[in-house]
Amino acid sequence: MHKVADIEVQHNIMEANKKLANKNKEIFEKNDIFTIDIVGAIGSGKTSLIEKIIDETDYKIGVIAGDIISKFDAGRIENHGVPVVGLNTGKECHLDAHLVEHAIGDLPLSDINLLIIENVGNLICPVDFELGSHIRIVVVSATEGDDTIEKHPMIFENSDLVIINKVDLADAVGADADKMVNDAKKLNPDVNVIKTSLKTDEGFQTVLNSINKFKNNL
Amino acid sequence: MHELAMAQGIINSVIETANENNATEVTEIVIEIGKLVLINPEQLSFMLDVLCENTIVENAKFDIIEIPAEIECPECKFKGNANTDDLDHYAPIIECPKCKNKRVSILNGKDCIVRNIIIEQPN
Ligand SMILES: Nc1nc2c(ncn2[C@@H]2O[C@H](COP(=O)(O)OP(=O)(O)OP(=O)(O)O)[C@@H](O)[C@H]2O)c(=O)[nH]1
Ligand SMILES: [Mg+2]
Ligand SMILES: [Zn+2]
Repeated sequence: MHKVADIEVQHNIMEANKKLANKNKEIFEKNDIFTIDIVGAIGSGKTSLIEKIIDETDYKIGVIAGDIISKFDAGRIENHGVPVVGLNTGKECHLDAHLVEHAIGDLPLSDINLLIIENVGNLICPVDFELGSHIRIVVVSATEGDDTIEKHPMIFENSDLVIINKVDLADAVGADADKMVNDAKKLNPDVNVIKTSLKTDEGFQTVLNSINKFKNNL
Repeated sequence: MHELAMAQGIINSVIETANENNATEVTEIVIEIGKLVLINPEQLSFMLDVLCENTIVENAKFDIIEIPAEIECPECKFKGNANTDDLDHYAPIIECPKCKNKRVSILNGKDCIVRNIIIEQPN
């Protein structure tokens, strides 16, 4: 014979990641590191943006490059002479705070004042997983079609800066970059939206100004 | 898309609680999933079935309750559930259904909680 019992669990599965994210943030702040989580569509220009920030600013930069299986992006960053940790997520579609915690351990924290985390190319999953960063930048590009933003509202509602990249190619693919700006503003009226081309440099200085502003307002 | 990670978190939490309470079997598991969590309950349910094979949870019935996105509007003071979008997004729209204000606070709907489990214990 056995008896039946109803056991209260009340265990929040999202909480574990959130706790680790807060722990990461504490580590960043103890080391005076401003941290950016860059999310965005596959191939939208996330790594290109990081490369440009490394080359054209005086920040002491460190990078965590997330990729599903390869280490290509980490290799590209390494060529720019900054410390980088490549993270493979294996089958997962997003970085989580736990993976980032491991990567932090492999970085020379005292030599860094700006940490950039390149998340896995995905406009859906990273929304549920905070990493402990101070701001989140979402990068999409005109070549993905000008309805990308409408189709993935959550990530735009949960970001601090939206970059519409590859505007140099907008006409060629028949995309309306201004519509994308409006869509982002509609979803998140407080968000900063910047049109860029990392080929022609259009908008890049505005991105840097915006990052500086976030950093200084901390 | 990260249903697998979620499912693993749920199963771990259930097994831990079951062991703490000397369960011989888990017969029912009640899970609450907020509408703002980006997981598909049907896929989650499939993953749970796969992961619980050969564990103490193997024969359990999963009861997945969807929790609506609850918001509060600082403009018109509306407090209640957000609307879901008429295009076929799975997720609710984060805006006040009354005055269309987007700057609302989210009160509920972002969590995934293992609420309770029904277990069998030795006498
Ligand atoms: N024409 C044009 N090409 C760009 C621009 N920005 C990036 N590219 C190109 O787009 C391609 C993808 O850029 P990446 O920086 O690798 O994109 P990513 O988002 O890091 O890609 P994943 O990490 O694979 O998701 C590269 O060939 C870049 O040279 C742009 O503004 N204009
Ligand atoms: Mg990349
Ligand atoms: Zn309102």
